[in-house]
Amino acid sequence: MSLCSLYFLFMKYGFLCFGGGYVLIPLMIDDFINRRNLITSEAFGNLISIAQLTPGPVGINAATYIGYTQHGVAGAIFASLGVVATSMILAAGASYYVTKWKDSFPVKALLTGIRPAALALIFYAVVLFLGMSVLTPEVPLIPCVKFLFTGENTFPAGLHFSFPSLLICLAAIVLLKKTKISTTWLILGSAALGALICS
Amino acid sequence: MNDPEGNRPGEKMENVPEKTGTFVTDLPLWKRLFLLFFTFAKIAALVVGGGLAILPVVEETFSKKYKLLSSEDLLDMAALVQTVPGIIAGNSAAFVGMKVAGYPGVVAAVIGVILPSVTVITLIAAFFPGLKAENPYVLGAFAGVKACITGLIIVTAGKLAVKTLKGAYEGIAFAAYLVMLLFFRINAAFVIFLSIPVGFLYSYILLKRLSAEKGGTK
Repeated sequence: MSLCSLYFLFMKYGFLCFGGGYVLIPLMIDDFINRRNLITSEAFGNLISIAQLTPGPVGINAATYIGYTQHGVAGAIFASLGVVATSMILAAGASYYVTKWKDSFPVKALLTGIRPAALALIFYAVVLFLGMSVLTPEVPLIPCVKFLFTGENTFPAGLHFSFPSLLICLAAIVLLKKTKISTTWLILGSAALGALICS
Repeated sequence: MNDPEGNRPGEKMENVPEKTGTFVTDLPLWKRLFLLFFTFAKIAALVVGGGLAILPVVEETFSKKYKLLSSEDLLDMAALVQTVPGIIAGNSAAFVGMKVAGYPGVVAAVIGVILPSVTVITLIAAFFPGLKAENPYVLGAFAGVKACITGLIIVTAGKLAVKTLKGAYEGIAFAAYLVMLLFFRINAAFVIFLSIPVGFLYSYILLKRLSAEKGGTK
């Protein structure tokens, strides 16, 4: 696969992606494993564990990894640029025109419509995040994706409640509300605390 | 299409400074570009799970600290990054970049958001191709970060709820969409597509009612 087709393939993924990078994973499985045979399912499983265990948005991590397996560093860069290309056109355009036509009827009606829906999606994300952190010590990503798209419950039987995670979560809420500590320090502090009490 | 009567009741009551179109700040362009690049690189490097975890950090940096975004802008951002196709991290970077510094800002923020992934994943793929996270301390650190981000998102969700749920329409629509997502497993994209005509319908009814009332008093 050439660099150019890699770029356009990931651009297509970006365009098909609504509501978060997790949506991309079933698409990539279908394309790279089933249809094109470009990487093995073992390598893909490896990718998932790397994508969720390294910082960075899951969608961009997945693009970088697949890009690297195809074309080295250049492939990693082209695939990541491809996956954000739609954002650079559509989200930037939305930002510009919504500000420009803020007082027009269509823009107001659009925002009136999507604000409650976006809030519902954020609450839904809260539920998913709780499921990924407080309920279990590690992210069961594939069951989560399956659960999201088919409603099929494939969570491992040993899904258990993590008290240290709940403690960190509550501490983060209290510190954010009551003190002026920056989110950077909160995240770094949680990493250190997690290494001590969640391991 | 500009219709001042089309304002929803309560919308003008907020004490948010109107920052439409023209952007007022003392920060020079290069400083804003650097801020965008650095903040989004930091977000991407620190935040595990991506997407909406970006919101609390954007609010902290661009709204509270540098006052480059109003609370209205944050509300628009939370709604639009989930509506426009594209991954949420990229959409947020492009949205904020455009607001803060125009198209150069979009480029700076997007490069910032992909840089940590490209660096870290490339290094891992090049030097530790068989890497499996089995070290309990590493796993523990990631569990800690995820728990912290869960807390941050809960706080942000609470703030957004206070700002969004201003009346009966918002409350009912929000509850209905949440029930659809949680209990009927309806796709997020479908919920967004459904919400757009609902919003137009509600705004149209409101507009009609307002003009009817005006006609009645005259």
